[in-house]
Amino acid sequence: MTARYLPLKFSFSNVSLSIFIALLLFNLSGYAQDTKGTISGKVQNNDYEPVENATVYLKGRPGKTTTNQAGEFSLSAAAGNYELIISIVGYKKETVKVHLLQGVTTSITPLLLSGSNDMNEVKIGGKSQNKQIKELPFNVNIVDTKQLYNNSSDINQVLNRTSGVRVREDGGVGSNFTFSLNGFSGKQVKFFLDGIPMDNFGSSLTLNNFPVNMAERVEVYKGVTPIGLGADALGGAVNIVTRNNPNYMDVSYGYGSFNTHKATFNAAYTNAKTGFTIRANAFYNYSDNDYKVDVSPINLITGQTEPEQEVKRFHDGYKSGTAQVEVGVTGKKYADKLLIGLIASGNDKDVQTGVTMEQVFGARTTRSASVIPTLKYKKADLFVKGLDVSLYSAYNMSVNRFIDTTRLKYNWLQQTIPTSTAELLRTQLKNKDNEELTTANIAYRINEHHAISYNYTLSDFTRKSSDLEDPNNVTYTYPQNLTKQIMGLAWQTDYKRFTATLFSKLYLLDANSFEQKGLTVADGYKQTSTNTSNTGYGAAVAYYILTGLQAKASYEHTYRLPDPTELLGDGLYVRRNSDLKPENSNNLNLGALYTLPLNSDHKIGIEANFIYRNAQNFIRLDQAQAQPIDRQYVNVGKVRTTGVEGEIKYAWADKIFASVNATYQNIIDKQQFITNSNLTGDNVTQNFYYNYRLPNIPYLFGNADIGTLLHNTWGKGNTLGLNYSLNYVEKYYLTPSGFGVNNTDDIPTQVSHNVSANYALSQGKYNITLECRDFTNNKLYDNYLLQKPGRSVFIKLRYFISK
Amino acid sequence: MYTIKQLFKSTFFAALAITAVSCSKDKGVASVSTGTETYALGVGITDASNNTVNYVVQASNLMTGTISATSGSTNNPQLQTGYRDYSFGGGTFYSVGGLGVSDATAYTLDASGKLSGKTGLTFDLPNTDLVNVDGTTMIGGSFPTGPTVSANAQLYTLNIAGNTITNKVTVPMNSLFPTNTDWTFYTGMVVSGSQLFQTFYPVNASTYETLHTDTNYVAVYSYPALALQKVIKDTRTGPSGAFGTRSGIIKTDAGDVYTISNSSFANGYSQSTKPAGILKIAAGTTVFDPAYFFNTDTAPNGGKIAHAKYISGNLIFVEITTTAPTLADRWGDKNLQMAIVDLSKQTITPVSGSPVFSGNGGRSFDALVDNGKVYTAITVNGVTNIYQVDVATATVTKGAIVSGTFVGGMARLK
Repeated sequence: MTARYLPLKFSFSNVSLSIFIALLLFNLSGYAQDTKGTISGKVQNNDYEPVENATVYLKGRPGKTTTNQAGEFSLSAAAGNYELIISIVGYKKETVKVHLLQGVTTSITPLLLSGSNDMNEVKIGGKSQNKQIKELPFNVNIVDTKQLYNNSSDINQVLNRTSGVRVREDGGVGSNFTFSLNGFSGKQVKFFLDGIPMDNFGSSLTLNNFPVNMAERVEVYKGVTPIGLGADALGGAVNIVTRNNPNYMDVSYGYGSFNTHKATFNAAYTNAKTGFTIRANAFYNYSDNDYKVDVSPINLITGQTEPEQEVKRFHDGYKSGTAQVEVGVTGKKYADKLLIGLIASGNDKDVQTGVTMEQVFGARTTRSASVIPTLKYKKADLFVKGLDVSLYSAYNMSVNRFIDTTRLKYNWLQQTIPTSTAELLRTQLKNKDNEELTTANIAYRINEHHAISYNYTLSDFTRKSSDLEDPNNVTYTYPQNLTKQIMGLAWQTDYKRFTATLFSKLYLLDANSFEQKGLTVADGYKQTSTNTSNTGYGAAVAYYILTGLQAKASYEHTYRLPDPTELLGDGLYVRRNSDLKPENSNNLNLGALYTLPLNSDHKIGIEANFIYRNAQNFIRLDQAQAQPIDRQYVNVGKVRTTGVEGEIKYAWADKIFASVNATYQNIIDKQQFITNSNLTGDNVTQNFYYNYRLPNIPYLFGNADIGTLLHNTWGKGNTLGLNYSLNYVEKYYLTPSGFGVNNTDDIPTQVSHNVSANYALSQGKYNITLECRDFTNNKLYDNYLLQKPGRSVFIKLRYFISK
Repeated sequence: MYTIKQLFKSTFFAALAITAVSCSKDKGVASVSTGTETYALGVGITDASNNTVNYVVQASNLMTGTISATSGSTNNPQLQTGYRDYSFGGGTFYSVGGLGVSDATAYTLDASGKLSGKTGLTFDLPNTDLVNVDGTTMIGGSFPTGPTVSANAQLYTLNIAGNTITNKVTVPMNSLFPTNTDWTFYTGMVVSGSQLFQTFYPVNASTYETLHTDTNYVAVYSYPALALQKVIKDTRTGPSGAFGTRSGIIKTDAGDVYTISNSSFANGYSQSTKPAGILKIAAGTTVFDPAYFFNTDTAPNGGKIAHAKYISGNLIFVEITTTAPTLADRWGDKNLQMAIVDLSKQTITPVSGSPVFSGNGGRSFDALVDNGKVYTAITVNGVTNIYQVDVATATVTKGAIVSGTFVGGMARLK
């Protein structure tokens, strides 16, 4: 199978990974057998065009073959280590080391041939996996997490450095966060773990917990999402692809400021003979988050606000742990991969503040626990050549608790006065979520230029809530249920320089809840249900205008169905809104990628994108003014976003790396009149914010990085890496700007400077990293009056072996 | 070389000048609307997601032009965080609320006639109401909205000049209405003589069902000590006031206290078992006057009084229903018109020219009594205007447009 054929297949996260497995297998020694193995691949020139009639053979073995019109070849020989030789007149003869496995067809990524006058060596593996996805017609950011394994970041922090993405955190490790992609945030952006939707996995399985070491890469699709990720994503999707090395172990432990501990363990074992595979990931995060903040404490006796002072946070501890084990077989006739697994996860979190730091708590806590069995099956060329299927399934069981039972009121000086009931609102709320998730993909290559694929995603979510402190609350009497089905059908075509895909998606929603039968409670409650059906569609094209210059365009008319919390509420913070409509949007991306190989040492990559989003019935969290913690999701009306984002990358001879990106997004309220239908009838009022920028969303931000690798420092095979990065977010306001004079409700401009040094010994087997974030100790805010940690240092030790 | 330097210099200064000009334009200190009279208004602007941002603005004229919260307006708009209630006392316009913590911002006019806010005073529990006693003292109340919030209410005395709390008293909620199924919601309070009178209605705090609509309840506290003395009851009407209003009780110039009951579906009651009406507690007493009962349901031009404000001379300005609300109108606060009620004569005079409108959702009633006129802001067909009611003639004049979704409070500062 060739990667070039199936742009769409890369959305089937794991399918494409087989190429990686194959590549990694080359490096494994031993396992030589008498029986035959097969190697297949594709040969391309520097323009990524297939090279026909190239001679391909294994050195020292009889039998030669030539590449077909698509540049493809396939060779069989006894299992073992070989040198694969490719030659054709007009190009330089190339040699690649390969390893053939018994009874296995090993696919390798496209081989690039250099012109005969070009003395460059063949680029083994041609384009990397990441580059290939990058070249899909979608607007996609690929974060190659492998380069970040020595650093202490979680996935959130890594994504925050990419264009179009802002992750806004309330505080330190484990704090609540909002992920926003081109201005879309919350549930408008969908998250996947190896292609399985993870929206309801519980707060211990989120992006602020996952260490980078767990992921092979992270794909961020903007605005237009391939059907393989079966998602009702309004603004795009993020897919975390976990590591797929067949045999390796990666262990790390780190310690840093605010008593933060982070430990990770990742390992896999694959028996090349039997195909038996076991994979394990585990991680643990702990932090006191006792960083200093500037606050004005309230005198609990007089009620007066005292002058601003610096205090330590005292009730913000966080710990979380996750273990994932998968067992099964790989490389079998009936399955390229068949794995059953279990994810177990939990966290424990103190709640330090309310909506702003003015409100302080000393005893409220939240807890979450999840157990998720999983099944993954994948087979290429099932029954007939060209028919690939995959099936991923998971059953998510999560329990989230919220506890406020302490009869004390705290201030920032940790003084208390007794209260009669609780800190704020007496509760021991328990939300029990059960969710069945299934994603199936079928793809068929009709011929070398055309393929079709179909995706089916089912999620069936049920929530049961209870509260010991409020046992008779009618809102807990009935379970809440929501079934979502999303089907996608796509056709894609692939010619020399041209790639295109056309797709359509069907969104089906079936929600069950309850409501009061009549006008009073005495009338009782009844089950209610809502059914909706919506059809979305889209297209994406990419074209190589020149060598190294690719132009892209993609469009999608997409829907995002309300999720259970939005439709049915979470019982504490979010009220239900059964009138909520699915939000829809027309998303357009226009972009270009330019790779400029100045000469062999200097490499420059430039990417620029224009984005346009026209969303209606935008679902947005309404911060009800009457009761600040009582929120509701509502349809906001019309919002139009235009934006540009760009990135420039530079590398010099594997020694110096630099990149800079910037995002500007103009998100405008286009709702001219507000109509709300309530008991007073249909009221139409003017929207005074019509044509104003939507408040409380960052609109200008960027990142810059520069790093160097000093090879063979203090010993052969040892590498010293030094890195500096900068994050910048322009000031923005909590309420619409243009109203009020001298408003102080701004989220100030943030600039943070980060440095790190990494020393890798024995070709990366042992690693030690020292990091300092925000070393100038600038005050950082993502949300109004919620100060984030300032300067912090972190040291991380890591051990990595791979066979 | 010299010319290049010169060119650079001139360009540099030109750029600087342009920057300076554009800066001053950006920050442009808009002239502030000051005059012989200055009013303060709490204006709420609700966006498409039902999210309201509140501003306190000032205006020298309520009858012409547009009152706006845009930064370039002459109304000196002051952003308020969170939900806001408004009160007035001792020349001070209070904006009470916040994001999480309930605080009071006290607005007065500075020497140049501009709004000047004093902040720093917070409340243990979200503040429910602030009531002027005598121009130097306000009485505040924090009445929890349910048993999970607090088992106790708090009453406090606020010194206007110092913006400080001078006395704080805890009132167990179940001492007002002993029950383990229902809660009580606050609907208003007044100080008369050596007593504080507070009205409330019993309600289920999670379902908002009202099963006790046969009785009017008034809690009587000592003043200034604020100790609960008793809860007096009368069964001629249902409870005084309604959800989200502060219009359950008023005091006349003579110190007589009147309770106003509507038990109206449109104001949140789930049943209505007694006529809407007004009862009296005569000055110096702590009992209902058995001789006084004004049935507003059956009176000519009658209906259910949703919002009320005392004018003077035993007259009150009210917003009263034009048609009898039904259960289907629950929470609607609709079909209202302006009227003047004479408590002595027991008459209701509709204000001639009054539109029929709905309540604005604000808890504070924004009516302002000033020089024989009553000003209030009403939204009709999506446009909010100030309406000026002439008390003597009971006629209305449409005044300034308010560029906002509603007006939560109004006061005259000068």
